[in-house]
Order: sequence, then C-alpha cells, then structure tokens
Amino acid sequence: MAVAHVPPSGTWYGATLKEWIFTTDHKKVGMLYFITSLVFFVVAGLFGLIIRFEQTAPGIHLPGMFGQEGADLYNYILTGHGAIMLLWWAVVVWGGGFANFLVPLMIGARDVAFPRLNSFSYWSFFGASLLVLLTLLPPNWIKMLWTGYAPYSMNDNAGPTSLYVLIVLLYSISSTGGSVNMITTIVSMRAKGIGWTKLNLFVHAIMAASLIQLFGVPALMGSVILLFTDKYLGTNFYNPMLGGDPLLYQHLLWFYSHPVVYVMILPAFGVFSEVISTMARKPIFGYISMALAIYAIAFVGFETWVHHMFVSGVPDWTRVLFSYTTLFVAVPTGIKIFNWVATLHKASIRYNTPMLFTFGGILMFLIGGLTGIPNAMVSIDLGISDSLFIVGHFHYVLGMALTFAAFSGIYFWYPKVTGRMYSEGLGKLSFWLMLIGANIMFFFQMYMGMANGMPRRYPDYPPIPEWVQLMQIQTVGALIMSVAILLSLINWVKSLWGPKADDNPWKSPSLEWSMTTTPVGPNNFKKFPVEVPDDWHPYAYYKGYHAHI
Amino acid sequence: MRKILVLLALSSGAMAEDIFAYPRAYWENSVTVWFWVAVAIYLIVAIPSVYFMVKYHYKPGKNEEGEHIEGNTALEIVWTVIPTIIVLFLGTYSFANFVKQRQAPEGALELKVTAFMWGWEIEYPNGKKVYTFFNQVADPEKNIYLMPEKIDDSVKAYIPAGKPVKVYCTSRDVIHSFFVHEARVTEDCVPGRITKLWFQFNKPGEYWVFCREYCGTWHSRMATVLKAVSEEEFNKWLGPTQGAQQPAPAEQAPQQATQ
Ligand code: HEM
Ligand SMILES: [Cu+2]
Ligand SMILES: [Cu+2]
Repeated sequence: MAVAHVPPSGTWYGATLKEWIFTTDHKKVGMLYFITSLVFFVVAGLFGLIIRFEQTAPGIHLPGMFGQEGADLYNYILTGHGAIMLLWWAVVVWGGGFANFLVPLMIGARDVAFPRLNSFSYWSFFGASLLVLLTLLPPNWIKMLWTGYAPYSMNDNAGPTSLYVLIVLLYSISSTGGSVNMITTIVSMRAKGIGWTKLNLFVHAIMAASLIQLFGVPALMGSVILLFTDKYLGTNFYNPMLGGDPLLYQHLLWFYSHPVVYVMILPAFGVFSEVISTMARKPIFGYISMALAIYAIAFVGFETWVHHMFVSGVPDWTRVLFSYTTLFVAVPTGIKIFNWVATLHKASIRYNTPMLFTFGGILMFLIGGLTGIPNAMVSIDLGISDSLFIVGHFHYVLGMALTFAAFSGIYFWYPKVTGRMYSEGLGKLSFWLMLIGANIMFFFQMYMGMANGMPRRYPDYPPIPEWVQLMQIQTVGALIMSVAILLSLINWVKSLWGPKADDNPWKSPSLEWSMTTTPVGPNNFKKFPVEVPDDWHPYAYYKGYHAHI
Repeated sequence: MRKILVLLALSSGAMAEDIFAYPRAYWENSVTVWFWVAVAIYLIVAIPSVYFMVKYHYKPGKNEEGEHIEGNTALEIVWTVIPTIIVLFLGTYSFANFVKQRQAPEGALELKVTAFMWGWEIEYPNGKKVYTFFNQVADPEKNIYLMPEKIDDSVKAYIPAGKPVKVYCTSRDVIHSFFVHEARVTEDCVPGRITKLWFQFNKPGEYWVFCREYCGTWHSRMATVLKAVSEEEFNKWLGPTQGAQQPAPAEQAPQQATQ
C-alpha cells in the first residue's frame, strides 16, 4: 500500500533515504525515473558533443585504445548517444517520469493501480541502467548502434551481444510493467465524473503510448532473444548461410521501433496541449478530434514499419504500399497542429518559459513533420535513406520538438513538484539559445544529407571543402545548444531555493493544479475522494469558470 | 543554397541532354514537388500562428481571458480532407517516379557486386574483377580520405558514360549498402540475397560509391570510385570480352562454351 510509506513531513518528497529506496508512492517513483532519465540525457548529450567534434574535420581524431581503433570508440559513443537518447530519455522521461507523477493527480487517484509493480518496474530499469554503465569499459563497448542489425550484431566487431540482449530485456520488463500500470490506472481509477471526454490530453497520450508499448515490446524482446539464441545456442533465425534471414530481425525490430516513436512524441503532444490551453487561457480547440487523433496515430503507426526498410531488399510493391500508409500518418498529425494553431485564435496568451518552449516545439515539430514526408515518399527515400537527412529530420522531432516539450513540461510543473518558482529570465534565455543553436545544428545536418548526400554514421568523410564547412557550422550550433541546456539545468537546481509558489499559479482547472497543495501533499488531494462539478473540464478556461473550483 | 537552386532548375522542365545522372533525375522530380508542397504548408501554418501570437497577446485589463470557443466541425473536416488529398497526390507522384527509378533500361551493363567487411568486389560480365579495400581510399600517413584523383586507378571500377549500369549486389558477411552517391540511389547488400539497382552517368568523371548501411569499424571508409569514361575507353580497359556480351554473333558460339 502506498499510503503506508507516507512521511509525516507533509510534502510528497519528505522521506528518509530508506523510504526513497523502498517507496511505492507514484510521485517518488516518478521522480526516481525522472532523475535517472535526466542524468542519462546529460551523458548522452555529452556523447553527442564528442560525435560533433569527431565530425568537425575529416579524418579520425578519437584515439585508438585497448586494441580498438578510434573509429571503434566513435561507434561505441554513437551507439550510446542514440540508444540512451531514445530509450533513457525520449521514452522514459514521459512514461516513467511525467506519467507517474501526473497521471494519478490528473485523474483524481491516490496512486497507480499497482504501486509495487511500479516500484519493481523502476528497479529493473535501474538494473538496465547499471548495465549500461558497464559498457563504459572498453572490452564491453557495444558498437552495434541502437538498431543492432543482424547479422552484424552477432559479429565480434559489434561488442558483447549478450550484454546488449540483457539490457534490452531488463528494459523491456520495465516498460511492460509500466504500461500495464498506466493502462489499468487510467481505465479503472478515474474519479467520479471524469469520463473519457474529460481526461487531460496528456493522459490520453499516455494511454495510447502504453497500449503501443504493450503491443510492441514483445516483438522487440523476440528480436533480441532470437539474436541471443543464434549467437550462443546455435539456432539460425538470422543466419543466411544456415537458412535464416537477416530481414526477419529488421521486421521484428521495426514492428516495435517504429511505433515507439509515437510512445515518445504523443506525450510531448500532450504537454503541448496542456501548456498551450493554459497559457492561452482558452479551451483546447477540437478536444474530441485531438483525442481521436492520438489514438489514430497510435493505430496507423503499427502499419508503417517497412518505411525503415525501403532499400533493404524487400519487394517493390511492399515499398509502395508502406509508402502510402506512412504518408497517412500526416493526416491525424496535421489535425493536431491545426487545432493548436486554432487554439491561439482569440486567446489571451502569456509568454512565459513553458509557453515559449511549447510554441517553439510546435513550430519545430512542423518542420520535423514536413521533413518526414520525403522519408515516406519511397522515390525520395532511395536517395536519402541512411543519410544525414534522416538524422537531421529526427533531431527536429526528438532533439527539438520532444526535448522542448520535456523542458516546457519541467518548467510548467516545476512549482507543483518542488513548491518553488523557477527563474523566468534564465528560462527564456535558455529557450532562445536552444532554438537558435538547435536550428543551426540540425538544419545543416539535414541539408547535408539532401543536398550533399552525406551518409550517416560516418566519423570520416572525403575532405570536400563544402562538406567540411557544413560540418563546422553544425558544431557551432551544437555548442550554443549545450550552453542553453546547461542554463536550464542551472535554473532547475538554483530555483529549489527560489520564491515559494502558490497552489495554482497558472489558475488551471486541471486537477493536479486545482485540487492539490503546492508541493503536493502525501495524500495527493486536499479532499478525497475528488469530486468535480458537472461543467468541469480540464481545459475550462473562460470567464467566470474559476468560481466553481 | 546554390545546390538547391540547381536541384530545382533540373526538375521537370529540363531537357534530356542536361540530365547528369539517372535515377537522380527522377529523384529530383520528387524532391522538387515535395519541397514546394512543404514550403507552402509551412507558410500556411506558421504565418497564422505567429500572427495570433502577436495579436492575442495578454493585455492586463483589456484581454484577460480567451474566448469560449471549443471547436468548429466544418473547419476540422476541411483540415482532415485536404491533407488526405495532398498525401494521396504525393504518394502517387512518388510511386510514378519510383517505378522509373527501379526499372533499368534495356541493354544495361551488368555488374555483380559483393560487399564485405570492409570493401567491394565488382565483377564485370567478362569475369574481370575490381577490388577496393577501405585502406586504399585513405592516406595511411595522414589517416585521412584521399580525393578520387589521388586514388590508384587500379581500384576504380570503370563504367561507360551515357550507358545504363545495372548492379546485382550481395554480401559475404554483414549487411552493407551500395550507394551510388551522385546518382542518389542506394540498395542494401544482404547476405543470402541478391538485390538490384541501376544508374547511369551521362558525363565522364569519377564518382564516389559509399557504404550506407552501418557495418562496423571501417564503415565510414568503405568507399570505392566509379570512373565513367567513353565507351571505347571502357572497352579497352575491360579487355577481351567473353560470353553473352560478345558483339558479333559469329564468334559467340565457341566462347559461350568456355563460360
Ligand atoms: C545535445 C544535442 C545533440 C547533439 C549535438 C546531437 C548530435 C548527433 C550527431 C552528430 C549524431 C550522429 C550523426 C551521424 O550518424 O553521423 C546523432 C545521432 C543520433 N542522435 Fe543526436 N544529438 C543531440 C541530441 C539528441 C537527442 C535529444 C536525441 C533524442 C531524443 C538524439 C537522438 C539521436 C539518435 C537516435 C541518433 C542516431 C544514432 C544512430 O545512428 O544509431 N540526439 N546525434
Ligand atoms: Cu519509423
Ligand atoms: Cu557499411
């Protein structure tokens, strides 16, 4: 039982170390996830900088060591950067961090459905995190990149396959536990009066993301288990010399790893919706179509995986078919963007840090979405597949839209979580630097892929003067971006001693603001069970509404 | 920027003689159409959002709360239907070009390519083979890529300019990808499978081929150079032909037996 661990201090975080370790409280578990995720984000960000420095000039600059080449070190660092940014940051910051803290508060519940499973999920994720740290030792360098394509991933050049498989399995156990918990919580623990049409869009997003995880993760686990048995137990699922097929691995991997991009981006959309409605003081435009679009994206997302395999040797008709299905994702995504813009019409917009990050994030997502189209148009993909274009494209989506959404969310809920107000000035400075730096970095990355045909995953390239210049520009952008991230980190730490925040600084009817103290009390709500009036809605921002709450 | 402009100029209207490489020309058609559609959509969304951001700024005493508007069904239908039509158009336009990108013209020179960690084996119809290893495209002293003119001609694969070339690719170990850089076409080389692509360079010159599927330590140096030369020069380089490529039918019969 969660309540058993409630500390007497009156805030959710007051507790001894022992209680933090054995906690089953959703807020503490959420925070454990969040801190782990943020630490890994910083590590992966530093890895990103190392990659940038390596690519700034042609030739291999990283030193060879322990019998391995500089290029091997690069491959290890690129593997780390990609895998950690995707799995430890883009997925876990939402499903582990934000969702655990916010979902019960948004639906009027005291905890998640299975608090002990929740704690178990965190600790298996923690186990996976420790194993990731083990890869820092040179003999353990995993160099198969986050995609781990067979048969390369079974080759000794790729590093210890078994360690990789173990990490993925622990991680998958954690994701499965987490998504079962979220789905059950959202389905069965909503307070009276909170129907499906009165859920925060962030909650809908977590629901859809958890469903994707539950359907998709088994394929990922299957793909790596077969890898393990192939390498160590002599089966031949992937080995063509013995009748296997390397493309089987790709189908299994992408059956999960394409939909997982929606596990990452849907909650980011959720944050955009929360922040834009709150800061524009206006109900979200087209709530129902916003919610349906989330589920539509999750559903169509399972029908598009072959777009990652357009040049892998699959039959031509399959490529055309999946080209169309992929393009259709643009329709529900478009609906979301148009509705956000329409929400701004006749609004009363406050420009604080969360709003800037959200607005910037939406405009960057627009670029990310439009540059996704050429990857879906199979005719264009033949020329840009596995080039820096795709890398630039997904950094617009993940490095900008998603990361801006996470920063927006951190600033937005900072007062509720810590009880303190962040510094606006520093937050805004961080935003503008990040917008400028990230655009310089990722625009030219994308440009190089399309205009110069520069392949991805290349530490070295021919010393063509134009290429060198484009690489140098990107490094400048990456440096500006790093400063921006550092400023936000400083802000979050420094503001722990900042001015005290009100219970509801954004004057929001959403339950996590209107029904709790700041910081949240151990029992979550001022009154339990939570009751809402009939005309309540999380986005009921209009004149006179606040009288009800 | 200049590159993008050239790219745009090269599109649909360009004359056949101007075309530098296939299937790049078809690829550029698709890129151009996508580019303008994307720019148009970007402006259609970004201009109103920035306009609203400015116009509906919070003003104390004047604009304190937003209007109570929850949606507009007609508008929402419009922005569901129009994007559907746009993506159907883009998908079909891409489909039409894709068919040409994949369909090699008759009479193409056929090459058998075998990729390995880390290099290429390229076999000509007469059995002649060219090998390129990763360390042959770089300067070992300076540990840096050589430009094509500094690379030894013996590791370059000659091709006839102005003639289509069809590549059948496979791999000896892990997955690689044969990326004909200036022709903007790539296809993975998968062990146990034979994949195909075609390309054509209309101008003599030296063109990079890069490996574009990650394959380990020297993935980024797994390159080779295609040297496009006139047809006579190519035939001279290729040496005595055997088998099916034989021009004169009279001489063909005895040699086919030796194949
Ligand atoms: C600090 C800012 C960042 C910098 C400087 C950076 C830089 C880079 C660079 C240079 C590459 C390699 C390009 C190549 O293949 O040659 C790369 C790859 C990648 N990045 Fe980032 N990145 C940043 C942030 C992010 C974020 C926030 C995410 C995701 C949430 C992300 C996800 C990835 C992924 C998945 C890859 C592909 C790895 C692979 O090829 O297997 N990056 N990044
Ligand atoms: Cu995908
Ligand atoms: Cu390669």
